[in-house]
Amino acid sequence: MASHETRDESVPHPRRGTQDMAAGLFLIAVALIALWQAQGLPLGTLRSMGAGMLPTALAVLLAGFGAAIFLIGALRPGAAFEKWSFRGLLFVLGAIISFALTVRLAGLIVAGPLTMLIAGAADPQTNWKHTLIFSIVLTAFCILLFKVALRLPIPVITFL
Amino acid sequence: MKSMLSALGLATVLAASPAWAQSYPAKPITMIVPFAAGGPTDVIARIVADNMSKTLGQQIVVENVAGAGGTTGTTRAAQSAPDGYTIMMGHMGTHGAAPALYPNLKYDPSKDFEPIGMAAGTPILIVAKKNFPAKDLKEFLAKAKADGDKINEAHAGIGSVSHTTCLLLNAQAGLKPTQVPYKGTGPALNDLVSGQVDFMCDQIVNLVEQIKGGNIKAYAIATPERSPALPDVPTTKEAGLPEYQVSAWNAVFAPKGTPKDITAKLNDALGKALADENTRKRLLELGAVLPDKAGQTQDALGTFVAQEVARWTPVIKASGAVAQ
Amino acid sequence: MEQLVDNLALGFSTALSLKNIGLCFLGCLVGTLIGVLPGVGPIATIAMLLPVTFGIDPTGALIMLAGIYYGAQYGGSTTAILVNIPGEATSVVTTLDGHQMARAGRAGVALGIAAIASFIAGCIATLVIAALGEPLTKLALLFGPAEYFSLMVMGLVFAVVLARGSLPKAIAMIVVGLLLSTVGTDLETGQERLTFGIAELSDGVDFAVLAMGIFGFAEIIRNLENPETRDVVRGKIGRLLPSKDDFKQALAPILRGTGLGAILGILPGNGAVLGPFASYTLEKKITKDPSRFGRGAIEGVAGPEAANNAGAQTAFIPLLTLGIPPNAVMALMVGAMTIHGIIPGPQVVTKNPQLFWGMIASMWVGNLMLLVINLPLVGLWVRLLKVPYSLLYPAILLFCCIGIYSINNSTSDVIFTAFFGLVGYALLKFGYEPAPLLLGFVLGKLMEEKLRQALILSRGSFATFVERPVSGGLLLVAAIMLAIALLPSIRKGRDEVFTE
Repeated sequence: MASHETRDESVPHPRRGTQDMAAGLFLIAVALIALWQAQGLPLGTLRSMGAGMLPTALAVLLAGFGAAIFLIGALRPGAAFEKWSFRGLLFVLGAIISFALTVRLAGLIVAGPLTMLIAGAADPQTNWKHTLIFSIVLTAFCILLFKVALRLPIPVITFL
Repeated sequence: MKSMLSALGLATVLAASPAWAQSYPAKPITMIVPFAAGGPTDVIARIVADNMSKTLGQQIVVENVAGAGGTTGTTRAAQSAPDGYTIMMGHMGTHGAAPALYPNLKYDPSKDFEPIGMAAGTPILIVAKKNFPAKDLKEFLAKAKADGDKINEAHAGIGSVSHTTCLLLNAQAGLKPTQVPYKGTGPALNDLVSGQVDFMCDQIVNLVEQIKGGNIKAYAIATPERSPALPDVPTTKEAGLPEYQVSAWNAVFAPKGTPKDITAKLNDALGKALADENTRKRLLELGAVLPDKAGQTQDALGTFVAQEVARWTPVIKASGAVAQ
Repeated sequence: MEQLVDNLALGFSTALSLKNIGLCFLGCLVGTLIGVLPGVGPIATIAMLLPVTFGIDPTGALIMLAGIYYGAQYGGSTTAILVNIPGEATSVVTTLDGHQMARAGRAGVALGIAAIASFIAGCIATLVIAALGEPLTKLALLFGPAEYFSLMVMGLVFAVVLARGSLPKAIAMIVVGLLLSTVGTDLETGQERLTFGIAELSDGVDFAVLAMGIFGFAEIIRNLENPETRDVVRGKIGRLLPSKDDFKQALAPILRGTGLGAILGILPGNGAVLGPFASYTLEKKITKDPSRFGRGAIEGVAGPEAANNAGAQTAFIPLLTLGIPPNAVMALMVGAMTIHGIIPGPQVVTKNPQLFWGMIASMWVGNLMLLVINLPLVGLWVRLLKVPYSLLYPAILLFCCIGIYSINNSTSDVIFTAFFGLVGYALLKFGYEPAPLLLGFVLGKLMEEKLRQALILSRGSFATFVERPVSGGLLLVAAIMLAIALLPSIRKGRDEVFTE
């Protein structure tokens, strides 16, 4: 995970740490969502805490950290905000969601290859022939392993 | 999520051809256990399912769908295709206490299920830490009543068996203990053994070895007769609280609309399991109480569920405990 | 002493029967296999294999299930090292330096030292259980909610010390983890918190769902956008097994990790998860050059791995001697025992000595088998890294999906994992580390529960945490550790230390 730390030096530092600024704003957003969800929950007192005490306290603390990190970014030079790879996000997360949607409906026999093929689209270097063959082989392996050997109650085929 | 489930149900209905009814079961049956693997309900379900599989000639696969006090798995079972290939092991909580505990419950224990039959109940015991200053139930109740909220009751979480059964005890005996919630029976029992808390109510299978080992003491068992597993523990009737009769029962249900011949076949398989010597022995070793012939019918279970819902609703409503 | 020898002799005569050796081997093999597959945990597997054990005698059944458990613990480290996905809370720490070693072409060394560390820890832990199991049970009973809370506070201090990079950012991640741990039904009142009205969240977020999302999936997306760095091993594989020097460097951390893990494993309520974190913190603190940590320090793999395995084994103590399971896997073992008509409790030792001592002896046998199974496999795993990434990652994704689904047989868990993949990717882009978040999450679940129990029991008095000697002592240690961790850095000036 530290591999990207070294990269900081190679990127020319802009005047402001836009990455930290964005990071701070992100925390503030998380804190606001938590506060919105926790509203209405009784806080109770320190001595006898209500359901909302800890979430609210943590959210406020988080917002504080968010503000601090934003300020660090705004006032001191630091790493720049990085570009997002939407292709990877779309297809990797799409593959996972497609698994969730198809596994109980159609079974592993459909969900397995589908997941791997959608995932394959995330990488420009994918060799589709290889991925297709591999997805079928691996699905068969998974059925043997999980259903036959380990007896997990995962649906294999539901439409026959 | 719900529409997805119903779409799933529809797909399975379309796939199921009517010819299956005669040759039922033609493929493995899924038994949903709405609790985590390893707990009392799971153990009973697995023992019963093991024998039922032999009678039916198809494997019954136990699928643990835990969550929200068992209501997640029960909801899924209620929404499953009524083709006999999804059944469930229901429980005192899911088919008795849940309607009062969960106002947004997505099923009705009576209306959304076909009762198959009672499997086994595990009696409830009243137990206290080993140095609690009371030698029998009468003394315990008197002291607990006098101490009011100075006494600590442990339970395994809102809606758990130990929680609801102690609510009933508190209501009947007029106790107002401070309730200390735990996540599961294990940690609650740990703190009872080490004396951090004063008493709890729970199923015999969780407690029997701790009682025999002298780590905690038992005041009474809430059944009409003493348990062979703990012959020295008096019944609540003997000990002076006869109205406290409660057991964590487990029973098999199928989704509403499952054909009559299929439910009859399942009831028959369950009856054979309960008559099987080896299965009986294994269940009795857990301290479980098995229903008699009259209690094994589908109608008996249907009536019992209605009674249980009617019994738990006022107790839980009065205590103010509501899970959302 | 003589009695110990007699007991162990009974144990080994049980464990070394041909059938039990076979079951132990089968358990370890299945455990290793499912542990290596990202996302497939021991709980689902043990649950599913329960019925298979119906036909076996209880001792054999438990030996096999225990083999699955510690096999999976071990296999999980392999995944953590090779593909940076921690399957369980205890292997989060192994990703930190283990995966860096793999990236530096030392995957074989990392896997080898993990296997050796686990074996040494397993041998010592077996002896500890055999010799001190019963007296140590008392330790578990010393820990009430207040003590537990203080222990978790100490854990949080570990998390701070563990932090790399910017300190405010690391602490913020711990807070996010704590916040995530509050999602779900409130323990005391049953009210739903931060669930967005989603019924599937009422029991909170599952650890595997969170870890798979923010570690696993986020890492995959990140790798896909950096085609140059994504193949973990580019031609250079290096040596397959640790050299003599590696071993020398790792031995002391292994022994220290074993000690920490063994003690924490005994505690009720899953104290074992703290073991690897504690060991890592200790090693990072006492080393001459802490900057190596997080960049492939062998001590950062050896110590935590030893702690992990020692804790996994001593976690059996509360189960075997008290009959009280300290975590979900042990609860499952209780189920396995009850199915076989043995209700675990304080009397198992006297009533079923063969089972008790047989299991203890089988732990040692199991550890030996893990070594035998895994050392030859190191070569295979390392070669697995040569599979082109464009084929490897779809396979990892599929395994993760199946694993997540099988935890609760729930598709919504899979969708949550996708969501946390998005969150994890965002965190990486913002320069946050996921490890402190996971630790905060693990600790948070226990911390709030214990805090509120302690306050209920003390009727709202915070003094309970200081007045109770064990709890007060733990808080003192935590305070001292925090001071040691922070003081030098404050003196040196923040920047140098916090952005090592």
